[in-house]
Amino acid sequence: MPLVERQGVSLHVQLLGSGPPLAMLHGLLVGSMATWWFGAAPKLASAHRVLLSDLRGHGLSSFAPSGYDLDSLSEDLGALLPLAGDGPATLVGHSWGALVALTFALAHPERVARLVLVEAPLPPSRLAELDAFLAAPADAQLASLPQTLRATVEGTSRRGKKALAQLARLIGETTLVADLRAQPDFDDARVAQLACPVLLVYGDRSSCLKAGERLARTLPRAELVTLAGGHFLPAESGPALAALLEERLCPR
Amino acid sequence: MSQNQPDAVDESAVLARLAQLLREVIGEEWAQDVEIGRGTSFNEDLELESIEFVALAEKLQLEFGARVDFAGWLANQELEQIIRLRVGEVVDFICRCLSSSDKA
Repeated sequence: MPLVERQGVSLHVQLLGSGPPLAMLHGLLVGSMATWWFGAAPKLASAHRVLLSDLRGHGLSSFAPSGYDLDSLSEDLGALLPLAGDGPATLVGHSWGALVALTFALAHPERVARLVLVEAPLPPSRLAELDAFLAAPADAQLASLPQTLRATVEGTSRRGKKALAQLARLIGETTLVADLRAQPDFDDARVAQLACPVLLVYGDRSSCLKAGERLARTLPRAELVTLAGGHFLPAESGPALAALLEERLCPR
Repeated sequence: MSQNQPDAVDESAVLARLAQLLREVIGEEWAQDVEIGRGTSFNEDLELESIEFVALAEKLQLEFGARVDFAGWLANQELEQIIRLRVGEVVDFICRCLSSSDKA
């Protein structure tokens, strides 16, 4: 299993395809690189060197007690990005992963060719879907997820228990929720200076859609596309999202 | 597959190897003893997690090389199909990849 050691944390990475570098980032808690691996990643790999990674504490990366704030995760990304090759990269992120991509682009604009932000929540500390998830009792958390996503984490024996144990550990034994709550909002004046093209993709039923509209107004080169679905768009509208990304990112 | 090919793909060997890789991916005690056959369901019987599919694909590539592109094969299937997936279908897929690359 390809692992990259960073500050005592093993980060799980996968590389697919060949071409200019492209990195994909998943969301917190129920996310892993499988978010992209099952959908858009193999398609984008036809024209890119695609770097998939599991955020610290998620998927097959090792447990990490802290460092879930956007600056720390952006530094993790910066350490991994050279694996996909030299030159400015396309960054694709879902939810918190989209905010990691945006944070990285603001800190290192010269290293980013283009951004795709799927369901980036703003302000970062408020996400209605996450609030509902965290408010539910532990054994009811999975049931609060949309059906298509639930199908991949629920199970009568092994899978459900494993998913709940991982969630309990991330919520109970790490600074993840505190990091998220403490995350300051982005400064629109700074966001407005980002010169690269940005594709914003939001679900038409998502509580985050207003964040997409705000980014579309603020970013100088943004396009907002809505797809049918809610916040967990890669699960809820996977084929449509993969087709959109392939159409926009893979020249024919 | 022609009979005069000594290296023709051995389906039962592929099944045995896939079963072993699945036991490694699951990594739990019960998985060591569970019978894994062509009819075993990834979803209902093994309850494979999505990230465990990724881990299995890694192991398949290490074992068989880039010619077995499990990720690419799954990418062309609907989620419902993947949820219904049985071990035998993956065995057949691997055998197809191996036999077509033998001919190449």
